[in-house]
Amino acid sequence: MASSQITLTVSLVMIALFSIAIIGFAINFGIDNDSSIIITDDAEFSDSYTDMGANLSTFKSDAEGTYSSILDTTIEPGSDVAQSTGPFAITPTNIIGVAKNIIYLPYKKIFGSGKGFGIFFTALIAFLVLIFGLLIYKTLRGNP
Amino acid sequence: MFLEYLYNLPNATEGADAIVIQLLDSFPWMVSLILFFVFLVVFLGGITRQKIRTGTADYSAWCIIASIATLLPALLFSITAGFIQLDWLIIVVTLNILSAIWFFLDRKYTEV
Repeated sequence: MASSQITLTVSLVMIALFSIAIIGFAINFGIDNDSSIIITDDAEFSDSYTDMGANLSTFKSDAEGTYSSILDTTIEPGSDVAQSTGPFAITPTNIIGVAKNIIYLPYKKIFGSGKGFGIFFTALIAFLVLIFGLLIYKTLRGNP
Repeated sequence: MFLEYLYNLPNATEGADAIVIQLLDSFPWMVSLILFFVFLVVFLGGITRQKIRTGTADYSAWCIIASIATLLPALLFSITAGFIQLDWLIIVVTLNILSAIWFFLDRKYTEV
């Protein structure tokens, strides 16, 4: 797997873990100290926090599947590339789902949930998908 | 009375919190300006010192450090009613998430 693909995947996982840690810390700080203002008073934060946890749970189970598929990958004698993109496809697909929810939260807070600036968010996610696609292609075939 | 005050004196018998909350009634922006001050002191101070020492500065790293430094007083303000509004707490947490996105994606890719 290309080193930059690992770097990008790790970056997105770190963003997810950091976001969950910060939101979880803020929520539990409020609960422990019986604060008058808790960010769970905001419904969008509560929903996003739940969604991020679900995304990471899915990522964990699918990462195990990815690891298993890497072990099962065979390379034919005389061939210098793998037969399928299976080992590369699963983990980036799930981590983009995590990144989508993480980025969508501040997006909603800044621009609102209206459709006016939706193209910005759509373009950003499409860019991430394109980068992952190019990285996988480069790993299999060389420079695109 | 010899000295006519131009404003109502705060009631100090209920502790310092009551004085600050009464001040916030007159000037609601104070808490947000304090948070902005903390962020700028850490962000600009860190960048300046790092540039003096090394010649370059890691902007994204100082941004995330400043965001966390801002979150801590914001959470302390949230304990007592009247100090900080929910909107400002959400802005600070959102700033942390945006800083994290900037920090973790601001790495040098050797390939792409």
